[in-house]
Amino acid sequence: MTTIELQHFLAVGAIMFAIGMIGFVTRRNLIVMFLCTELMFQGVAISLIAFSRYNHDMAGQAFVIFVLVIAAAEAALALGLIVLLFRTKNTLDADAWREMKG
Amino acid sequence: MAAVPPSTGFFALGSMVFSPAVLASVASVTDERLTAYISPAVVLVLCVVAGIGTIMLLPGKREIAFRRIGGALLGVAGLLFPAMIYRPGGGHLDAAGVYFWIFSAIAIVAAVRVVTHPRPVYSALYFVLTVFASAGLFILMYAEFMAAALVIIYAGAILITYVFVIMLASSASVPEGKPAAAVLGEYDAVSREPFIACCVGFALMGVLLFVIFDRAHDLRPPSPEPTVDLSNPETIQGTAQSVGNYLFTNQMVSLEVAGVILTIAMVGAIVIARRRVMIGAEDAFEPSAEMSPILTPQDDSPASVPVYGTRNPRQKGHPET
Amino acid sequence: MSELFAVKFSWLIPLLPLLGAMVAGFTGAKLLKGRSHWPIWIGVGLSAILSISLLVGMLGLWHAGQDLTVAKDLYKWIDTGNFVAWAGFWFDPLTAIMLCVVTGIGFLITVFAAGYMKGESGYFRFFAYLGLFIFSMTCLVIGSNFIMLYLGWEGVGLCSYLLIGYYYEKPSAREAAKKAFLVNRIGDFGFGLGIMLIWKAFHTVSYFGDGVGTNTGVFDLAQAAHLTAYQLTALKVIPFFLLLGAVGKSAQFPLYVWLPDAMEGPTPVSALIHAATMVTAGVYMISRCGVLFFGNQAAMVTVACIGAFTALLAAVIALRQNDLKKVFAYSTISQLGYMFVGVGVLAPVAGVFHLVTHAFFKALLFLSSGVVMHAMGGELDMRKMSGLKKVLPITNILMLIGCAALAGVPFLSGFFSKDAIVAAAFARSNILGGVMLFTALLTAYYTFRLYFQVFQGPLVIPEAPTDAHGGHGGHDHEQKHNHEPMLMIAPLILLALGAVFAGYINWPNRHASFGDFLGQCPSLKQGYEVAKASYGEVDAAALGQRVAGAEAEAPFTPVMAISAIVAIAGIFAAYELHLKRRAKAEQLAQAAQPLTAIIEGKFFVDEFYQWLVEQLRWLGSKLDGFDKFIDILVAVVGNVLQLVGFMLKTVFQRGYLQGYASAMLFGVVVILLCFFANWNWLWTLMHAF
Repeated sequence: MTTIELQHFLAVGAIMFAIGMIGFVTRRNLIVMFLCTELMFQGVAISLIAFSRYNHDMAGQAFVIFVLVIAAAEAALALGLIVLLFRTKNTLDADAWREMKG
Repeated sequence: MAAVPPSTGFFALGSMVFSPAVLASVASVTDERLTAYISPAVVLVLCVVAGIGTIMLLPGKREIAFRRIGGALLGVAGLLFPAMIYRPGGGHLDAAGVYFWIFSAIAIVAAVRVVTHPRPVYSALYFVLTVFASAGLFILMYAEFMAAALVIIYAGAILITYVFVIMLASSASVPEGKPAAAVLGEYDAVSREPFIACCVGFALMGVLLFVIFDRAHDLRPPSPEPTVDLSNPETIQGTAQSVGNYLFTNQMVSLEVAGVILTIAMVGAIVIARRRVMIGAEDAFEPSAEMSPILTPQDDSPASVPVYGTRNPRQKGHPET
Repeated sequence: MSELFAVKFSWLIPLLPLLGAMVAGFTGAKLLKGRSHWPIWIGVGLSAILSISLLVGMLGLWHAGQDLTVAKDLYKWIDTGNFVAWAGFWFDPLTAIMLCVVTGIGFLITVFAAGYMKGESGYFRFFAYLGLFIFSMTCLVIGSNFIMLYLGWEGVGLCSYLLIGYYYEKPSAREAAKKAFLVNRIGDFGFGLGIMLIWKAFHTVSYFGDGVGTNTGVFDLAQAAHLTAYQLTALKVIPFFLLLGAVGKSAQFPLYVWLPDAMEGPTPVSALIHAATMVTAGVYMISRCGVLFFGNQAAMVTVACIGAFTALLAAVIALRQNDLKKVFAYSTISQLGYMFVGVGVLAPVAGVFHLVTHAFFKALLFLSSGVVMHAMGGELDMRKMSGLKKVLPITNILMLIGCAALAGVPFLSGFFSKDAIVAAAFARSNILGGVMLFTALLTAYYTFRLYFQVFQGPLVIPEAPTDAHGGHGGHDHEQKHNHEPMLMIAPLILLALGAVFAGYINWPNRHASFGDFLGQCPSLKQGYEVAKASYGEVDAAALGQRVAGAEAEAPFTPVMAISAIVAIAGIFAAYELHLKRRAKAEQLAQAAQPLTAIIEGKFFVDEFYQWLVEQLRWLGSKLDGFDKFIDILVAVVGNVLQLVGFMLKTVFQRGYLQGYASAMLFGVVVILLCFFANWNWLWTLMHAF
């Protein structure tokens, strides 16, 4: 097939989402964990834009704008929290926060 | 791989068998474009190879060569898959098609590197690369405004913040004689249970890909292109204008709320990350000096797991029930 | 009869002592203190007046030839569908007599106790318990169904425990109280089973009918013409269960061991509960359930044999007792045996008659020993005191009267009542009569042994013992001290009058004799019918029935003469051995040494019971071990589950946030797979290979 169809873009988005998920679950560095969540946002954004283009509806792009807004807000707060956590335990290791054990 | 309890092994194994099989279900009977060309067995093998490669690539206590082999495996699998989907010949090569493949490749490779690189700064930089590639994909989809916004917001703001924080929060103790940059925190060098993560991830990927390709016929037909009267310049709207139009007519409230959210986030970030200063106290809040050093569990027994952040040497990691 | 004042207000009879007890109990500690006896005096006194008025009224009605029974039901107490029990009263001659005994002698004893217990700490407690006891005892005798009887039964058991353990700081008193309660419990268990069996067989627990005027009580039904096989079998067995209760409450063999120990309680308690009233509950119950007992020959034989054996056993043990109150305790057991024999040989009139007279003279004897104890500063050992007639002149005479009545000296009350029983025993079986006569000899002997030892002979006053009971210190005998205050002596005088003259109420040949009066009781009337049906020939007079054409009884029978001789002989023997030459008693005892040791060891019954309890305890400990083993098994199940949970916890909940996240994602993936995956691949895969 030579025409690039909707499915291809969706596939890319899905792959990026899945990779981001793998990274979130695997990495122990708090910052890299959140970076992987941003990666998941990327995948979602690609899918949204693809659907927007497919349906010729600007709603998808508008949604991506909001996604960016939320991503920015979340990044700010998450990094603030990471700094706070870091100050308490002096490590970025997610394993340090294991009080939920048991 | 750090502290993988043996019992996750069989979970991992199950998922490993499971997910590629799911991926193989991509090759379903109903998709004529694919069935003729991909046999499920090959897809299974490809996925297994990709999975193994990813696992090997993820940070762990391995030698560089080992990881490079993993990377190579992943690359091979990654190349083979599209190669099997791509049908050469049969029509002119769509210019956009080439760019699609290029941008997609860059995006996915960079994403993989984000996830598997041991150093956080490099992860952030690779993420910038992903962002650029995504922006390229956006442009291919006639969403220029979004592309620009993406670059500005993500690469220009968010990732700068990430890099700053990485710089601020690096505190791995530096042994004498070695440059600080060469020292990796243990938490960076070792990833946790890559098996199960990859299995779950690849299973998810398989399901998503399957749904995307197999249920393509369930999609409703694309809306017709909106007719553009080229004679009237007023009605010609670029992407930015269309997006703005849509936002301010249909999503007015959401827009305002988004603004409020940003304000709150800003205030919140300041409040959270405030350093408490006690008036008059010289050493205000310095828990780092008093806290116990970072410890790693010696073995898999829960009783030997040290408890962080406590000054009581007798507090056990696992209280008896 | 229901228009009698006493019947109309009969609910006051139990209620007044109860109210008195509550007032004394709740306000006595802080408010009444030394005056706590007043609520009880008022309550029990009024109750006694009502009881006597009831009796007098019934006598009047009897002379007028009217019916002497009435049921008075107050309210439906227990109503649970099948099982109904009314809080109701049943009045007939037996009830009236018992009520008078209980409340009358009870009142006299409360008067005595006010003087005796003066200055004790916990004064109010004593009187509160006493009031509670009178309430329970009246419920027992006045109740119209087995549940009221059982209520009273348990209540008197409880009050007995409370009162024996009155000096609860003394360990021996605590132990004695527990022993009394536990041994009683064994009897109560049998009694309860009997009541349950009665209900199961007859579907009612009332004596003569639920509600007023329905003739559907147990005693009516048991006499019905057509009884089912179950009922017939039950009737064979029920008396034995009820008998078990009577044996426990009335201290017969084998459940008599609590009574001697119960002397740890204050003397008025011993007098009231363990001489006059509570221990007679068993005899009352058997008389009341005449219909159930008198036709059952096996049960009657059992009753008589138990009674005779106990009488003899207790009399023998009493021969070598040295404690004042213990002698009388064993004497009580022995006399209760007499009453049981009386009932067992189909002479309930004799049994109840002896109950009445015994109440008088035994209470008199106990209270007199109380006076002696008081005067001797709590000393109870007979061997340490002598010749007290100089110090306690009035008590001397009273004690003499009581001892004579107990021994069966002619023309005193005990003579008549004991003789009635002995005669009835001879009528049934010569051996039984012989045993009773021999026991009478022993009774006379040990009674006067006590009297001669304590009151006659040279004056010897013991030193006060260090642990005088409850805090009464030794009196200083140098100074003039009235050991016989009027408060304590007046009731004794009244009791002595009763001990002397109470025997004449059963003077035969008068239409209004005690036996005839009692015979009007439906329990005895129906019992007579049942006994006739079972035995064929029954002495009607012994059951209080008048049969037309029967010859009039002679007031003096040969048996009377023989028992008189026996009594005198016993007294003479006591005189010889304990007054003329006291050393002779000890020499005789030494000469008969192995026998003496056994008697002094009370035939080692207590030791045997202790051994039995040890065996049970051993069994209990083994079972406890088994129970712990079961516990471990159960705990193992719990522990296994806990272990599994723990293992799962170490797997799944290690605190890693990302672990939880991956688990969640795993779940999501599984769900997605279930929804979206096309499982045809499985087949294609299989086909591909």
